[in-house]
Amino acid sequence: MPATSPAGLSRRGFLAAGGGLSLAAMLGLSGCGDSSSSNSGKAADTLTLLLPGDAPTGWDAILAKVNEKLKNDLGFTIAPQFVAWSNYQQQSLLKFTAGENFDTALQARWLNMIQLVASKSLVPVDGLISKYPNLSKTLDPQLLEQNKWSGKLYGIPQVNSAARFHHFTVRQDLADKLGIGEISTFDQLEKFWYDVKQKEKLTPIGISSNMPDLLVAFAPVGWLNQHDWENPHVSVQTFSGGSLPFYLAQDGKSTGSAKPIPFWEAPGVLDALRKVRKYYLDGIINKDALNVDSSTIGSQFESGRIATRWAMTDGLSSQALTPLRKAVPTAQIANVVPLRGGKDAKPNQTFQADNFVVLNVKGRSNERAMQLEDWVSIKENHDLLSYGVEGTDWKPVGTDKFEQLSQYSFPGYALCWRQKLELKIKGITPTEEAWFDWAQKYDNFTLDPYASFVPDVTPVKRQDSQVNAAMTQYGNPLWIGAVDVDKGLDNLKKAVDKAGLADLQAEMEKQANAYLKGQ
Amino acid sequence: MTTATSTTSSLAKAAGRTAAKRRTGGWEPFTVVSVIGVALFMLICLIPFWVILSGSFTDEQTLAGKGYSLIPQPFSTAAYKLIFTGPTLVSAYVASIFITVVGTVLALSITSGLSWVIARRLPYVSRPLAIFAYIPMLFAGGLVPLYLLVTQYLKLQNSYFAVILPLLVAPFLVFIQVSAFRQLPEEILDSARVDGAGEMQIFFRIGLPLSKPILAVVGLFYAVHYWNEWFTALLFMSDIHKYPLPLLLQNLISNVTFSQMLPTAAEQSTPVYQLRLALTVVTIGPILLAYPFAQRYFVKGITLGATKG
Amino acid sequence: MSTRTSVRSSLWLGLLAVPAVAFFLVFSYAPMAGLVVAFKEFDISKGLFGSPWNGLDNFRYFFASGDAQRILLNTIVLNVLFLAATLAAGVTLAIMLNEIRGRFFKRAAQSTIFFPYFVSPVVIAIMLQVLLSGPAGDGGVVNDALAGFGLPTVSWYTEPGPWPWILTFVKIWQLGGYMSVIFLAAITSIPEDVYEAGQIDGASRAQMALRITLPLLKPTAAVLLVLGVGRIFYGDFGTIYAIVGDNGTLFPTTDVIDTYVFRSLRQIGDFGTTAAIGLFQSVVGFVLVSTAVLIQRRYSKETSLL
Repeated sequence: MPATSPAGLSRRGFLAAGGGLSLAAMLGLSGCGDSSSSNSGKAADTLTLLLPGDAPTGWDAILAKVNEKLKNDLGFTIAPQFVAWSNYQQQSLLKFTAGENFDTALQARWLNMIQLVASKSLVPVDGLISKYPNLSKTLDPQLLEQNKWSGKLYGIPQVNSAARFHHFTVRQDLADKLGIGEISTFDQLEKFWYDVKQKEKLTPIGISSNMPDLLVAFAPVGWLNQHDWENPHVSVQTFSGGSLPFYLAQDGKSTGSAKPIPFWEAPGVLDALRKVRKYYLDGIINKDALNVDSSTIGSQFESGRIATRWAMTDGLSSQALTPLRKAVPTAQIANVVPLRGGKDAKPNQTFQADNFVVLNVKGRSNERAMQLEDWVSIKENHDLLSYGVEGTDWKPVGTDKFEQLSQYSFPGYALCWRQKLELKIKGITPTEEAWFDWAQKYDNFTLDPYASFVPDVTPVKRQDSQVNAAMTQYGNPLWIGAVDVDKGLDNLKKAVDKAGLADLQAEMEKQANAYLKGQ
Repeated sequence: MTTATSTTSSLAKAAGRTAAKRRTGGWEPFTVVSVIGVALFMLICLIPFWVILSGSFTDEQTLAGKGYSLIPQPFSTAAYKLIFTGPTLVSAYVASIFITVVGTVLALSITSGLSWVIARRLPYVSRPLAIFAYIPMLFAGGLVPLYLLVTQYLKLQNSYFAVILPLLVAPFLVFIQVSAFRQLPEEILDSARVDGAGEMQIFFRIGLPLSKPILAVVGLFYAVHYWNEWFTALLFMSDIHKYPLPLLLQNLISNVTFSQMLPTAAEQSTPVYQLRLALTVVTIGPILLAYPFAQRYFVKGITLGATKG
Repeated sequence: MSTRTSVRSSLWLGLLAVPAVAFFLVFSYAPMAGLVVAFKEFDISKGLFGSPWNGLDNFRYFFASGDAQRILLNTIVLNVLFLAATLAAGVTLAIMLNEIRGRFFKRAAQSTIFFPYFVSPVVIAIMLQVLLSGPAGDGGVVNDALAGFGLPTVSWYTEPGPWPWILTFVKIWQLGGYMSVIFLAAITSIPEDVYEAGQIDGASRAQMALRITLPLLKPTAAVLLVLGVGRIFYGDFGTIYAIVGDNGTLFPTTDVIDTYVFRSLRQIGDFGTTAAIGLFQSVVGFVLVSTAVLIQRRYSKETSLL
């Protein structure tokens, strides 16, 4: 009942987002939703940036230094606004919708970038980058090329490696103790899990509630899909995150036809589903996967209760070692990428960046925003913003690593991630470093035939949202093995058929074929 | 009042046997049942509270293993250190106290005024007003119009009033108060009128003083809501030095949750379990301290007999 | 009511309501114009008035879903359970608290039972997991207890059946104290002499509670009930989502309108459809409340809300 009281607004924040009114017109004020003019007293010599998360420890001091230098170099300063992660998506969309005049923001496909591109709220930057030498020097031409959507680049891709490839972090000390040694294949990995279960009484794999759709039908590989690890050449597309995955034909380029099929028809997927079901029944994966969040899994791994955890080629999973050693002094961790053929496997990769810095069409000065992006591409400036003051916040280790001295931590991926400038953390393990280096080279991968294909959900919006709902209900339990595969898949098929699978499939085919034609 | 009188008279017939002074007498079965019932419910509330409190002082490693702890062993203040080393904690407390105090006073005054007018059942005024106040409980324009209103027309960004004003009158509490005002005995108000008191005087001199319990309750609820409010602050405050406490804590927790999914450059681990529990303690603390003051009014209560005389 | 208030003094008295009326006009009624987006195909760059109309398309979305019936049913069942349970708990606790004479105990009790209201849904969800599933997902305090008594254990997070009751229990825990405060204030306002009459008649305390206190709480309960009825089509999003999240196996009994809409639209962020569903919930709530008020006026004019 207190939902009816003032706090009700906040509890229902997301749903309350319903109204999209320009109050102006209602009050008879000509309906111009753009308020930027009214704020112009502040002049364009301060850029507003939207950053996710919380202001880092020691932020005021670093910001003062950054602004002092910026003022000297370029004649303006920045005023970043931090928006908590849990509200970032809603808040940034709201600010775009209200026509605010902030200058840059973090956007991505998993946020609202597709919508914002469709509504022309973002400045295309492909023509601009070449005018800024420092910026273009630090961005790989391949990166820019692959991140164009329909021929245009709508933001500056933020990456610290060429490819993003998810894999496993395992407790190497346990593998050694169990006599398995270094793990390099999926079969070894599986043996490790069963041995851990039997002899160590730990949970072999920790899965959190935001992982189910990564486990089986996912590109470049389903995390627990052995077939994919052995044949890492699949292209999977969805209309929106969490929706039904379609597999696209690998020979599309030569035949001109993408032939999308729902995931259950793809080779290896059924086997993988059955295997995950077995893991679930055998207690290899945690039974509460659908209800436990990633930070909880992280914390359990760090206290030595989980033997395997999800990892990304971002060079950061070794961070877990320090806290882990507090709980288990002899702990060792290793990163395992069980590709058949190891580092020569050349798996598919779209090279799509996970994060972009976008320029707001209504920003005070798009030119200065680009100047800022150029300025943070200079090593000295990049390091100041990313790591803080050298000597007090961090110190270099060798030529390519750094040691953190203070608690300062900046969300670089929302402003200044440059593959060539990022330093590795000091404690990076040898296996992680090897795979991280591997992910730095474009040549280690096969270009996904649908690499820069971004399906447009608009024509099938209604069907997609209903399929999305069905996937959460029937798909998630299936992905983590909580239900019988045949029965679960049957229920899922019925639900998505009713929700409009056929429409989605036809639309996917149309768009993918059009994409192939344009290549 | 009619119900009460009729019940009492029927009681007289039914149980007119003993006219002893029950009230000061020993423990009746019902009292015993009540004490046990309340004690049980207290226990259901106290155990989780203890688990939260104790957990907030327990080392993360232990907590991650069991998920809870009944004794803070090994003892750790890591989560509190994390919370209290935040650079803006003092200004956050200042902001929260300002918002809560000013907000509650304003809200309580305005709500009381409206409630009184509705409760008096004035012809052509009270009922339309009640409907007028009820509709916002059901229909809301949504986030975008409110956002535009506050930022572009009222220009209240980074002002504490951007948090206070949008939540100023809660229809729910208006109706709670109306129902309480209506239970004031009409005879008292009438006798005041006979003595020549104006309607305003009646409100200020009789209506409000007689309604202290409900004023305390409604005031308490407003205070609680303002103290907990982070969403409007999130919408309208961009200056971290003006964040109220709940927004600061909200950011801290969401940051911890997401930092596990997204790369940060720092080599540090945050005590996730512990932090969540410690945040609960930090938020509740001040309210629990302030609670007894409000409680005075509805625990002790005021007997109408006393005021009448 | 008994004295006829003159028109002049009623206008004068009306001044007391002016600030609140101004508040509602600016912060509630003005933004309501935003509801037109429910009938539009919203486009960020075109804004509200530039966006094209699309009639009732946004409304069709929800009802076209095969799950609409089940979700509507869940919403109503859960809300009725929550409303009845929290009201009953509030009244019972208030009456019981009123029986307690030890001042210290009474205060301590009140503070304690009010506390759960402050516990955030996330923390509630964690505590439930400890109780029902344990850290690794197999076990939990409740299952340990069941096993201790030789009873079969339950895999709670894959069993939809018990969840309406579990959620109701959570609501009682969360709001029992909060509601009791409202009722306790009402009890405090009951004139002492009413009880004195009861004492003279020799009524036991149980009888007094049942025949004096309880009837006098009716108006307050009626107000809370009517207010609650209006919101019966809203789910309790915060708590339910924090506890159930995306666990599809529990949806058959726990999925309500708000959680369904959140889930199916979080990726697309369609303002038009969310507004349409909000408007639908409001209109249904309005109809229900109007009915409730009419019924109430018919049977007990004394306690009527309006």
